[in-house]
Amino acid sequence: MKILITFIALMMFAGSAVADIPRPDTTPKKSAKTASIDTHLDIRLRRDAKEAKLILSKAQLNQLRAEIDAIDGGASDTASAGVTGIQTIAGGVLLSLAMVFAGVWFARSGRVSKPVATGLIVLAGGALATMVYANAGPPPEARSITGKMFVQGMHYYKFGGGAIKLEVSAEEDNPVLIVPDPEEPKKPGEE
Amino acid sequence: MQNIRVRPFQLTSAHVFLIAFVSVCAVGAVLIGSFPLQLSIVTIFLFAGPHNLMEFRYFAARMPVRWGRSRLFYSVGIGGVVVLTAVYLTLYFASGNWLWSLASWQVYAAVWNTALIVWVGSLFYLRGKQRRRDWSLAFAAAFFLAWLAWIVPQYWSLALVYLHPFVAMWFLERQIRRTRPEWLRAYRLCLLSIPVFLVFLWALLAGQPNLPQDTNLFWRINQHSGAEILPSISSHLLVATHVFLESIHYFVWLLLIPLVDRRAIPWRLKEVPMFANANGIPKAFAAFLVFSVVVSVALWFGFAVDYTTTRDIYFAFAIGHVLAEFPFLVKML
Repeated sequence: MKILITFIALMMFAGSAVADIPRPDTTPKKSAKTASIDTHLDIRLRRDAKEAKLILSKAQLNQLRAEIDAIDGGASDTASAGVTGIQTIAGGVLLSLAMVFAGVWFARSGRVSKPVATGLIVLAGGALATMVYANAGPPPEARSITGKMFVQGMHYYKFGGGAIKLEVSAEEDNPVLIVPDPEEPKKPGEE
Repeated sequence: MQNIRVRPFQLTSAHVFLIAFVSVCAVGAVLIGSFPLQLSIVTIFLFAGPHNLMEFRYFAARMPVRWGRSRLFYSVGIGGVVVLTAVYLTLYFASGNWLWSLASWQVYAAVWNTALIVWVGSLFYLRGKQRRRDWSLAFAAAFFLAWLAWIVPQYWSLALVYLHPFVAMWFLERQIRRTRPEWLRAYRLCLLSIPVFLVFLWALLAGQPNLPQDTNLFWRINQHSGAEILPSISSHLLVATHVFLESIHYFVWLLLIPLVDRRAIPWRLKEVPMFANANGIPKAFAAFLVFSVVVSVALWFGFAVDYTTTRDIYFAFAIGHVLAEFPFLVKML
């Protein structure tokens, strides 16, 4: 009995001792300020360019870095957003298990008549098709940074994007966006 | 000729129950909507400890001395409560040490959530087996919920905060079915009134400015109700909603369950098999009951001395009572 009381007392004191240890603050710290500088962007369509490039002025980048350092001491917050790899793996495994268990239960329950099964397959197919079409992206012209992005037909989408290389140059005074604008291959008989 | 019989209205106990429930909710909604932070502090101060005591007393009355055919169910149930509580407290109190990065702590928390969900799924499955029914669909539901807990952990945690009060209402429904079936219809009307009060609160508070977060306690209360997870919603609305639901939860455990189940009346110890049965463990039960009363009084003392710290410690240990609800609730299905 004495040992039990001693143990409980020890646990109580241990509990109050560790209660002082603070929990990590899981709140992503977002500063109300954003780092920005005013500048001018040049967009250059180049026939000879092989890839899109955004060239940043070294001087302006240093200025921007100083702004960022002034706000949060240069701390990176890139890890705070999005879904991590382990979350994706665990989520995928668990969702698969959910589907497997639901399927096994459904098959074992003996409630699957032919019309119900057909209906479910049609529903699942419809849902899948909807997901596929809903996720279908805009046309390739809006998904790559080329000269075609600026044609009239693309204005309908009001957005566009694509892979880009970021470069820092000491020679440029302002940021420059290099946009590849390859010449259309001539169709036979156009000469 | 057809006779039309007019039945005179008779005020039954079910009517009184309905009127009292709706009236208390109405007064509560108005007060909580007006003073959410103050009511949050007061309700936790007054009812947090006692409602845990009442839950323990209720579960004790439902726990058989011999588990018999339910041995596996109770073993998984009680074992799960002990293990999950211990792991939770370890994660909670050890999370500030320098060995754990924030990312690893989040993974441990997700693993704990998965274990919790699969444990609850197992309880449903075992209960289904006892009732000779196939409840293996519980595993599919459990894995689906675990997926949510991994993909959107912050919303999952917030959902638990808001759903926990409803567990008490579910207990009450099961209990009314058993001991006061004549109140069941009235109780369902009571339950239907809750969304009405919530819509009323949301309509009034949606445009209110956010509540102050200038002290650590106020920040904690705001954070607990999801003010940081849902920044586009007024924190006044969130805190009021949470306090309103928590207050109903306390109201159910402290007043309504003893009202519908005489075995849950605290001083009727002869109704507790572990205490009154010849094969019971009366000394151990009495010691634990006394310990629980002491903890409740100590909580009041702690709240009076340092409310914020005591609140944090209370909510860490409160996971035990949240977990203990599951085996007993599932057993009542």
